[in-house]
Amino acid sequence: MNVLVLLAIILFALMAWVGGMKGVRSFIALFINFLIVLMAVFVMNDPTGNPIIIALIACGFISAVSLFFINRVNNKTMLAFLATIATTVILIFFIIILTEQSMIYGLGEEESGEITTFNVHIGLNFVQIATAVILMSTIGAIVDTAISITSPMREIHEQNPTISRKDLFLAGIRIGRDILGTSTNTLFFAFFGGYMGLLIWFKDLEYSIGDIINAKVFNDEMLSIFVSGVGIALVIPIASLMSAYYLKRKKEDGILEEESNR
Amino acid sequence: MKTWLKNRTKAQVITVGLLLIGFIASMIFINNNYDLYDRTIVQITDVQEINREEQVDTHGNEDEHVTQHIVGEIKNGSDKGQVTAFDNEYIQSLALDYELAAGDEIFLAQDGKATGDIKRDKYFVFVAWIFLIILLAVGKSRGALSALSLLVNAVILSIALDIYIHNPSIGLSIITLVSIIIFTVLSLLMATGFNEKTYTAILTTLLGTGLSLVIAYVALHFTGEQGLRYEEMAFLTRNPQTIFMAGLLIGSLGAVMDVAITLSASMFEMYEKNNRIDLKTLKKAGYEVGKDIMGTMTNILFFAYVSGSIPMLLIYLKNAAPFGFTVSMNLSLELARALVGGIGIVLTIPIAIYISIFFIRRKQAKL
Repeated sequence: MNVLVLLAIILFALMAWVGGMKGVRSFIALFINFLIVLMAVFVMNDPTGNPIIIALIACGFISAVSLFFINRVNNKTMLAFLATIATTVILIFFIIILTEQSMIYGLGEEESGEITTFNVHIGLNFVQIATAVILMSTIGAIVDTAISITSPMREIHEQNPTISRKDLFLAGIRIGRDILGTSTNTLFFAFFGGYMGLLIWFKDLEYSIGDIINAKVFNDEMLSIFVSGVGIALVIPIASLMSAYYLKRKKEDGILEEESNR
Repeated sequence: MKTWLKNRTKAQVITVGLLLIGFIASMIFINNNYDLYDRTIVQITDVQEINREEQVDTHGNEDEHVTQHIVGEIKNGSDKGQVTAFDNEYIQSLALDYELAAGDEIFLAQDGKATGDIKRDKYFVFVAWIFLIILLAVGKSRGALSALSLLVNAVILSIALDIYIHNPSIGLSIITLVSIIIFTVLSLLMATGFNEKTYTAILTTLLGTGLSLVIAYVALHFTGEQGLRYEEMAFLTRNPQTIFMAGLLIGSLGAVMDVAITLSASMFEMYEKNNRIDLKTLKKAGYEVGKDIMGTMTNILFFAYVSGSIPMLLIYLKNAAPFGFTVSMNLSLELARALVGGIGIVLTIPIAIYISIFFIRRKQAKL
C-alpha cells in the first residue's frame, strides 16, 4: 500500500476519534485545501495570468474552507475571515517589495542541479510565483491566529457584556500575545524540519557565514519565516480591532463619550 | 508625541532607544561590509538592454532571452573603486538568472565577466529587524521572549548539526532525539515559566512526538516506503531516509508544542477558576478546545510544506510531465511531512488532556 494513503487513513481515523464530526470535517477541509492548491497551480500554468492575484484568490477560498466549513458561518468565523483577508492584502505588498529587491525568486544553485533534464525557461513569471509561494505558506498560520482571537473575544463579550470597547480590544491583544510565541515557533520548526537537508548541505560543503547569508535558498526560507511571523503579529491587532468594533457597535454612544473625555 | 512620551515608563523609552540605535547601526554596517567578503562585489551604476530575442522550446513555451550591458563600481578587493563592465544575460521568466537594475549590488562570477549572486545580507538583516520590531510592538516582553527562544533554538540546531557532521558515528537519529528534548524543555519554559502547566506541556510534547515517531516508523516499514520519492529531495549530501526522518520529527515538533501548551494552559485555567471542578466536565471541555484547534493547526503545517513545491510543480507541468508523476515526484515527501505532523497534532490532544487531569487530580486530592 502507498505510504501516503496509509498515513492519510491513520490521520482520518485519529481526527474522527478525537474530534467526532468536527474532526471528520477538519479532515475533509484539509483535502479540499489540497485540491485548491492544485487548482491554483493549474491556473498559474497559464502565462497570461498573474500568480499573485491567483494566490490571493486561493487564499480567500482556503480561509473560507478552513473557517466556514469546519466551524460554520457565524460572527466569529466571519470576523476571522475578514481579519485574514485584510492581513493578507497588507502583507502582499510587503512580500512583493521583498521578493523583487532581494531577488529570491526562481531556483537556487543548490536546487537547479536536480532538474537538468527539464527546461526552466517556461515563460512564467518566477518573481510573482515566489511572492505567491511565500503568501500561501503563511496563510494557514494567519487563519489559525485569527480564529484563536475572535473566538475567545466573543466569549469574553458574552460573559461580560458591559466591557468597554477598549478593554475588549486589549483583551484580544493579550490573547494574541499568548499565541504569538507558539505560532511563530510552529512555523520555525516546520520550515527547519523541511530544510534539514539544506542545513546539512551547508555544513557539509563548508559554506561560510557570508555564503549562507547571501544564498538564495537560505534567504527564501528565512524571509518566509520572518514574513509569516510578521503576518501572525499583524493579524492580532487587526482581528482584535475588528472584533471590538463589531461586538460593541450597538453601544457606540457610551464609548464615544468615554473617548472624548480622554 | 509629548503625551505619548509621558505615558511611557523609563524602561520602555530606553528599550525603544536601544532598538533604534541597534537598527541604524546594523543597517549602516551591513550596507558597508564589502571588505569582509573575498568575492568581488560590484555596485551597478548603469544598465542598458542591448538585445532581446524571443525563444520557443519544444513544448511551445514562449520566453525571451535578454542581454544587458552592465557598468558598475567594484566595492572591495585590490580593484576597489575601479569601474567594470560586463554583460548580464537572463531569460525573462527569471527561473535561474537575474534582471539587474542600477543600484543593485552583486557578487561577480569567478571569471569577472558575469553575475555570480546577489548581495542579500542587507535584506536579511532588514527583514529580521522588521520581524523583531513587530514582535515587540505586539507582544512586548512576551514577544521579546519568543524572539529569543527562536534564536536559541536556531543556535542549538546549528550546534547539533555540527556535532553530527563531525561525529558521523553518533547517528542523526540520536542527535535529533536529544535536540528535541532540549528544544521542548527550553521553548516551553521560556514560553510559560516554571509551573505545572509547563511540565504538563513538556511531558505531553515528548510523548506526542515519540508516539507519532513510532506511528510514522511503523507506517513507513509496513508499506516499504512505497510512494515516497526520495530522488527528488533537494539538497542532498547524505542518506535521504535519515535526513527525512529527522526533518519529519523536528518539523512537527513546533506544532505539537503549540497544541500541548494551548490545551494544558486552558485546562489549568479552568481548574484555577473552579478548584472543585468535576474531572469529567474538565475532560469534556478539553476535548472541545482540542476539536477547535485541530483543523487549523493541521492546516498550518500543510501550507508551510506544500506551498514550497509550487515552482517545481509548474516546471514539471510546463515540460509536459504527466500530472500523476508530477505530483508524486514533488509532493510525496511534503505530503508525508504534513500527514505525520497532523497525526502528531491530533494524538497530542488526548495525551495533553489525560496528563493535565492526572496533575489536577493530585492537586484536588490535596485540597
